[in-house]
Amino acid sequence: MNMKNEYIPYPAVIEEVKKETFDTTTFRVRFKDKAFAENFQYKQGQFMEISVLGAGEAPISITSSPSKKGFLEFTIRAAGKVTKGIHNLKKGDNLHLRGPYGNSFPFEEIKGKNIYFIAGGIGLAPLRSLINMVFDNRKDFKYIKLLYGAKTPEELCFKDELEAWKKIPDTEVWLTVDKPCDGWGCRVGVVTELWKDTHVHPENAVAIVCGPPIMIKFVVIELRKTGFKNKDIIMTLERYMKCGIGKCGHCNIGEKFVCVDGPVFNYEQVEQLPHKEGVF
Amino acid sequence: MKIKIIEKKDIKNLLKEAVKEWGVYAPQKNLGGDVWFDALPKQAAELDRALDNIVLEDADALISPKDIFFPQLESCFEFNDGKIHETVESSPKLLFGIRSCDLKGLLFSDDFYKRNFGDKYYLSRIENRFIVVKGCIKPPRPACFCVSAKTGPFADRGYDLQLVETPDSYLIETGSRKGEDFIKKHEKLFKDYSAGADKTISQIKKIACESIELKVDFQKALEMMSKDGFVPEENYKRIGERCIYCGGCLYVCPTCTCFNVFDNFKDKAGERMRNWDACVFEGYTRETSGHNPRKEKWQRTSRRYEHKLKYDYKLTGMSGCVGCGRCLSSCPVDIGMSKFIQEITEKRKTM
Repeated sequence: MNMKNEYIPYPAVIEEVKKETFDTTTFRVRFKDKAFAENFQYKQGQFMEISVLGAGEAPISITSSPSKKGFLEFTIRAAGKVTKGIHNLKKGDNLHLRGPYGNSFPFEEIKGKNIYFIAGGIGLAPLRSLINMVFDNRKDFKYIKLLYGAKTPEELCFKDELEAWKKIPDTEVWLTVDKPCDGWGCRVGVVTELWKDTHVHPENAVAIVCGPPIMIKFVVIELRKTGFKNKDIIMTLERYMKCGIGKCGHCNIGEKFVCVDGPVFNYEQVEQLPHKEGVF
Repeated sequence: MKIKIIEKKDIKNLLKEAVKEWGVYAPQKNLGGDVWFDALPKQAAELDRALDNIVLEDADALISPKDIFFPQLESCFEFNDGKIHETVESSPKLLFGIRSCDLKGLLFSDDFYKRNFGDKYYLSRIENRFIVVKGCIKPPRPACFCVSAKTGPFADRGYDLQLVETPDSYLIETGSRKGEDFIKKHEKLFKDYSAGADKTISQIKKIACESIELKVDFQKALEMMSKDGFVPEENYKRIGERCIYCGGCLYVCPTCTCFNVFDNFKDKAGERMRNWDACVFEGYTRETSGHNPRKEKWQRTSRRYEHKLKYDYKLTGMSGCVGCGRCLSSCPVDIGMSKFIQEITEKRKTM
């Protein structure tokens, strides 16, 4: 049968490994086929299915920005069989990829706006794709604030970039942790505590949220209290996924597939989902 | 095309001819007395034995023939030392004696697997498919409610040939060009049936419809379910308390398509596999972090009924339930779709 087999992954090689935290690592990966690598396109917020042959396959969001061509970056926490399998790989090792899948964060639509990036833990990884794309087109956007929380200072990802982003004009980076260490100079508490550090204002603004389900839930409550409209609260939903292409059924909520119709939804769309099926 | 007729005693000869060209699947009684939709062997002696076990008349095939196109366990690709070899199966398949409800299930699945990204494994398997429906004269199981679901007991589309049973022969309705060609090819076995065929057939179908005793208000249920929050959580909780979450109703369901994916691996070689999964299992939505959005039993019960009767209908205009009744007849605790429909439309406790 002459059709593309969407389940067959393509060989790629790991060209850089960077440890982010004790259990989280960023892998820079390039498709082995040079022409394929150069023509490969994706959008901010999309994900790939990563295979470690023998261990299995897992959906992982792309953390690199589409404005950087030729390679892909994934920030992965060693949590399950496949992600632990990926963590056992080193520079020069092979893995297999298919994708990109899912919809994407808006980009053109949010130009000219103030942007609040709100992230929890490894939730910064999918946001980073959009953040760097926004910074690569800095003049198209107004004020930018990143509100980022993690369990401990050690567990903050992209530490070098957090420092670099702070230095970009009209940009603020605010950090908080649940458990501080000696010398921690920032806030302690959940990410919504950062409302005390910086003014969060809904005017001409969008909030883009990514993190664990419980964090998203409380951030949405706080944003709505602050006056954000539902459609200006944009988030990615997390769901157990297998196939990534709307077939295996695991990520189904109501008639939506998070893998195909999402993972990016605004809160107006999220409100329409059947919450008894457990959206968060 | 004129209505043709084939004598019951010639069915074996027809199938002997068909196996030369097709992988033929037909309902066969196994040693335990259960009916399974199995492939007919090609080898003569084995074929003769298998033909003796074919049951067309009142066959209650335990599971729908969906597994011919979506096997319970299948290989997606093999890998050896990092090299991948696609394993796609596309041999010609003839389904002989499939019921109209199961055909509806296949048509529903065809549509599902074509949507968004096509599923090459399924679509390759249906690429060269020939369907012979055997309309039900009597319900194969007491739980059948195809008349209410408008899926039977005879098919209205999607078949190549449809058998309409009379005491010693089958009248043949032709549903496609492929069906006409098949009859031409095997014309020795078919005769013309001239006198009042249409009238005879509609009479047989009418009696068949009347034989389906279980009636539910299916359309009303679909309309009710389309309203958000129509079924109170208490109902799902009560039904959920009875369910043992074995997944049986989903395995036997003609429209259930969910699967799990995993690798089988030894040394440097292995296989990526997929197998049937079920949304009623607790682990079905459990994330690696341990967070489970459908942790509670009743949430999974709700999902199971609302997916079939609400979301499938909303998305495709087709109900995900085809009225075969297998969920009820296979359930160890007597829960099923027809009872659920009775419960909401007749406002009485049935489970």
